[in-house]
This record gives sequence, C-alpha cells and structure tokens, in this order.
Amino acid sequence: MVASELTQYVVTGLLVGGVYALMSIGLALIFGVMRVVNFAQGDFMMLGMYLTYYYAVVLGIDPLVGALVTIPPFFVVGLVLHRVFLARVTGGGDPNREMDAQLILTLGMSLIITNATTMILSPMPRAIRTAYATQAFAVGPLLLNQARTYAFFMALCLAAAVYVFLTRTDLGKALRAAADDPEAASYQGINVRAMHGVAFGVGIALVAAAGGLLATYYPIEPNVAVNFIVLMFVAVVLGGLGSIPGAFVGGLAIGLVQSLTLLVLPLQLQNVGVFVAFLLVLYVRPQGLFGRRARTV
Amino acid sequence: MSLLSRAVTLALALLLALPVVGPPPAVAVDDVKIALVVPLSGRWARQGQLKKMGAEMAIDEINAQGGIKALGGAKIVLREADAGDSVEKAVSAAQRVLTREKISAGIGSWLSSFTLGVTEVAERQQVPWLTLSYADNITERGFKYTFQTSPVSSAQAEQALDLVVELAKRNNQPIRKAALIGDNTAATVFFFKPLREKLLQAKGIELVVDEVWTPPLPDATSIVQKLRATQPDVVFYGATNFPDSIQVLQKVKEFGVKTHIQGVGAWLVTPEYVKTVGKELLDNIQAVVAAHPLKGQEELVKKFVQRTGEPFMTQDPLCSYAHVWLIKEAAEQAKSADPKAIRDALAKIDLTTGPAASTLSPGRIRFDERGRRIGAVPLIVQWQNGEPFTVVPVNLATRPVVWHK
Repeated sequence: MVASELTQYVVTGLLVGGVYALMSIGLALIFGVMRVVNFAQGDFMMLGMYLTYYYAVVLGIDPLVGALVTIPPFFVVGLVLHRVFLARVTGGGDPNREMDAQLILTLGMSLIITNATTMILSPMPRAIRTAYATQAFAVGPLLLNQARTYAFFMALCLAAAVYVFLTRTDLGKALRAAADDPEAASYQGINVRAMHGVAFGVGIALVAAAGGLLATYYPIEPNVAVNFIVLMFVAVVLGGLGSIPGAFVGGLAIGLVQSLTLLVLPLQLQNVGVFVAFLLVLYVRPQGLFGRRARTV
Repeated sequence: MSLLSRAVTLALALLLALPVVGPPPAVAVDDVKIALVVPLSGRWARQGQLKKMGAEMAIDEINAQGGIKALGGAKIVLREADAGDSVEKAVSAAQRVLTREKISAGIGSWLSSFTLGVTEVAERQQVPWLTLSYADNITERGFKYTFQTSPVSSAQAEQALDLVVELAKRNNQPIRKAALIGDNTAATVFFFKPLREKLLQAKGIELVVDEVWTPPLPDATSIVQKLRATQPDVVFYGATNFPDSIQVLQKVKEFGVKTHIQGVGAWLVTPEYVKTVGKELLDNIQAVVAAHPLKGQEELVKKFVQRTGEPFMTQDPLCSYAHVWLIKEAAEQAKSADPKAIRDALAKIDLTTGPAASTLSPGRIRFDERGRRIGAVPLIVQWQNGEPFTVVPVNLATRPVVWHK
C-alpha cells in the first residue's frame, strides 16, 4: 500500500471521527455532571438535523451556520426538560431507584421523540443539498470532502469552546464542582440542581449542533439516531466515563479505527474493528483512555 | 281478560310474528381482513409507507365497486403491523397481527430479510402470504403459503447482466470490468452471488471491485476510491439503506467517477433521490425492479399521484396494489374468506385480466409449486430528467433507453 493511500484512510477516519467526537462530548457532559445515561441523546441529534434543515429551506441559512444557531433553542429545551422531568429523578434519594427511573425516562423520551417525528414529519428522508457535500479539497494526492472538512473544524472549535467554558468561566467551574462533589459544591453556595439543568442544556445543544453539521452531508430521517447512538456510547466509555477530553478522543478514535480497519478486514466487518479496539482498550485500561479523570469534567 | 290485556297480548304476538312475516333480514357479511406487515418505523419506513398507499388504493377501489361479490359484497379491511427495523420486530409484528383475529391473507414485508422471518409465521398460522421480496430462498423452503410475485434475485441478476452487456455492445462500449457494491441484506446477497460465482466470468467480464457492507455505512470513501482506481465499465449497486446509498452517490460525484450504475431494486427510484442528490447525478442511472408503471397504466398512475401527492408511482405501491387485487380474485374464486381456501385458490390461479394481472409484467399471474410466479420478468427503470421510466421490456416501456458513460 502506498503512503498516500494510507494517509487518505487516516484523514478520512479523522474527518468522520470529528463529528462523532462532538456528538459524544454532550453525552459525556451529561453523564459527568448528572450521572444520567441519556438514551435520547441521538434523538436530540436528529432534531438538530431537522432544525438545521428547516433553517436552510425556510430561512435560507447555510447549514454550517444553521448548526450553530441550533445551540440556543436546544439549550433552552434542555433546561425545560430538566426542570420538568429529569430534576424529579436526579440529585437525591436512593441512587439505585434513581438510576432505574432515569433509564426509563430517557428511553421513553427517545421512543416518544422518534415516533412523534415519524408521525408529524413522515418517515420520508430529507436532505440539505449543498455544493460542498459533493466537492473535495485536493491536497496533493489526497481528497478531503469539503462538507466533512468544514464539519470537522467546526466540531473542533465547538469542543475547544466547551473546554474553555468549563475551565475558564465561573459557571464552568461551578459545573465541574457540582460534578466532582455535589455535597461540597452545595456547601460553597453552588446550586447543584441548577448546574444539572445547565449541563443537560449544554449537552443536548452540543449534540444538536453535531446533528446540524452532520446534516451538511448526511440525509435526515426520524430514525437516523440508531446509526450513531451506539458509537456515541462507545466513545464515551472508551474515553473514560464522564470525561470531556476522553469522549472527544474516543470519538476521533472510533472514526480512525473504522477507517483503518478496512486495511485488514473486509468492509462488512468495519464496526467489528471498533468493538475489538474498544474491548482491547478496556482490557488494558478498564477505566478508559482518560481513566484518571473518569467521572470528572 | 280485560280489553287492555287483550291489546297488550295482541301487540306482543304481532311483535313476535314480525321476524317471521316480515322481509328476510340481510345476511351479515363479515369483512375480509388482509394483514400488511411492512416497516412503518425505522430506516425502511418510507418503503412501508409507499406499500401501504398502494394497498389502501386497491382496497378503496374494490370496496367502492361492491366488495367481494362471491362473499355477498364483503368489504376488505387492512390490518397493518409495523415490521420496524429488525427481523425480530418483523416476526413479532406478524405474530401479533395473525393471532389477534382471523386474517384471510397477508402482504409483506419489503426487505427480503424480513420476509424470510414473517413468512415462517404465516406458514405456521396457515395464512397465505404475498410478497414482492426478491431473495431466492423465500420460495426454496418448501412452504405452502408463500407466494412470491417478483422475479427472484438470481434471475434478475442474469437478465440485468444480459441487458447491460447488450446495451453496451450496441453502443460500442463493451463491458470488460464490473464492480459489485452493496449491503448484505438478503435480496442484494442473492443478486450478487450468481454474478460473483459464474455469470460475470461466463461473459468474460473481470470483477474488479467487490465490496459488501452491513448497514449503516459510516463512510463511502474507501469504496469509491476503489471504483476510481479500477474504472469498472458497470457497477451493480445494492444499497437498500437510503443514507448509505446517498453517501455512495455523493462520493461518486465528488471523486468524478464516470461509470454506468445498475441498481438492484426499487429503493433507487424513489422520489426523495431527486431532492437529495439532484436530477443531474441521477440521469441515466438504471435499476432492475419487479414492477414499475408500464405503457397503458397512465390512468392508474394519475389516480395514485392525485390521491397521495407523490410525484410518481413505483414498485412498492404497485405491488401491494396488485397483491390486494390478487387476494380479492382468489377470494372470489374460493368463494370463501378462509385463509386455507384462499391459499388453494392462489395455488391454482391463472389470471390474465384485471388490475392485478395488468400491473405485474408480463400480464399473467400463476404460481409454480414453490409459490414463485411463473414467467415473472424484471423490468429495467432508468432515471431521465428527474423521473424514473420503464425502459425494458421495450414493448411496455414508457421511454426509450439511453446509454452513456
């Protein structure tokens, strides 16, 4: 195999992994702060894709911009959902019973969102036709799909913004404090319940933005989440449960492994490579790649 | 006995006598229930929705014309069940719908992998099952209640290859290299198998790319890179999952791959393709299908378009439309709504007239002992200016075929 071909596989894998990474950090943030496994995360991604689609067809907003404009409404939706539903099953009481209630709640939300979308918007796939979805940047012998390249860099920027938010702002520090030790944080005057709301809002806003970026090159349908939700969970566990940098690296790693698997295995077994790598990492480091930071943000 | 008592007694006597002396009551006619088990959620929900549209149209027509005459004008009613996005869900849906009430016949389940599971349930419940699915093994298991109206995948492969080779030769661009790319759902597997094992070799065609994936496809770069590197003269293309298919087509455009694309199945000729990739990219892409509007079916298509708002009619609604009419004909011949009687009527049926026969080319419906429709031939449909038209067989085509590279 020539070097350029190998490089093409690596670059393609990283571009695919960039959007996986952005999808995954929202999930990791929600788990890291709230200890909630959000099964509806993929469905919020799907709704982000639809909102970006309607921004494009109704308001004429380019989907790369539309993806960013999904963030404020989804943040608000996250706050409201937390206030109305999730706050009742988080932050106090018997942890085991709470975990059961959270699982049923988020799974139920997932089913309701998917089926309501199918009923209201029909199962007919939609797509935003952009010129850059079918054009490539030629870098020497390499071809980089323009939509995926833009999506990758925007995902990087958003991930960096989240990192800065968590490490440089008071609100971000309060979120981390609430994640590290809710009891001590509340003694310091931090409203842990409010922090949970912010975490849920930011978490689903991020995955909605990832959906918007995905919509620049991927068709939109009510059931699109099933194609990605398992990979999101793998990325989060691979990176170390609840770790934001871990989830980001986990997402990138999945894209890379999917692509490089094709060098040794047939296409049909592409995702087998991902799960073999996943099991190997967990065998060597049960706490995940960023294990020392597990359960922190 | 007082006058009042006499009057009451007389009134009661008259009331009791009424059923005897009055006109005979109309015989209560039970509805004939047809099950439709198709994906109505999940990644193949659109196909299920299209199938439902065709079935509902046929039912409305039949009921408006007085129902099943041999059964005293019995109306047909549809019992739909969602096959979802997995074989397990499809089987469970079939079990639910077939055990809840008496079903006279069933239709489904679009994806061959689903049909394989659902027909096992129908066989156990002894309910005749009509399917458009292509996979050969659907009618290779000795089942008595399964009826496959489409030409099977292997036959489609052979005929599609003959046609493409002939077309290329006629245009002085003989086919020397071919590619097989598609998912590993049953119909595609059975289409590719004979091509891979013997048919291509028999025509002296080299197989240069053979890529099969499990849906969903994360990225199509590696596949299209191989097409670009090997430059096949024809690509046999079987991507039943819409996002996978779109990714491949977008990549074909991005990498500037110029090759003849021969699709395997009607998933490639649905209206949403035009909106997603544009009519320019689709132009001249062909698909081998089991049914598509033929010359002379303009009225049917017009009615469907008016009724549903779909821009055109395709295999999925056409087949379920034909299947409902076929069940109606079988019930007329059996003079019964009993599933076993309908099964026996279907096994013996030889239909050359009526909506079912005119919808399924070449216009005659009869089944062999395996339940395969005798004489079923595939059609070739080609995208031309944003709409798919039947181009083969020539005598029933709605447009002449265009070849380009």
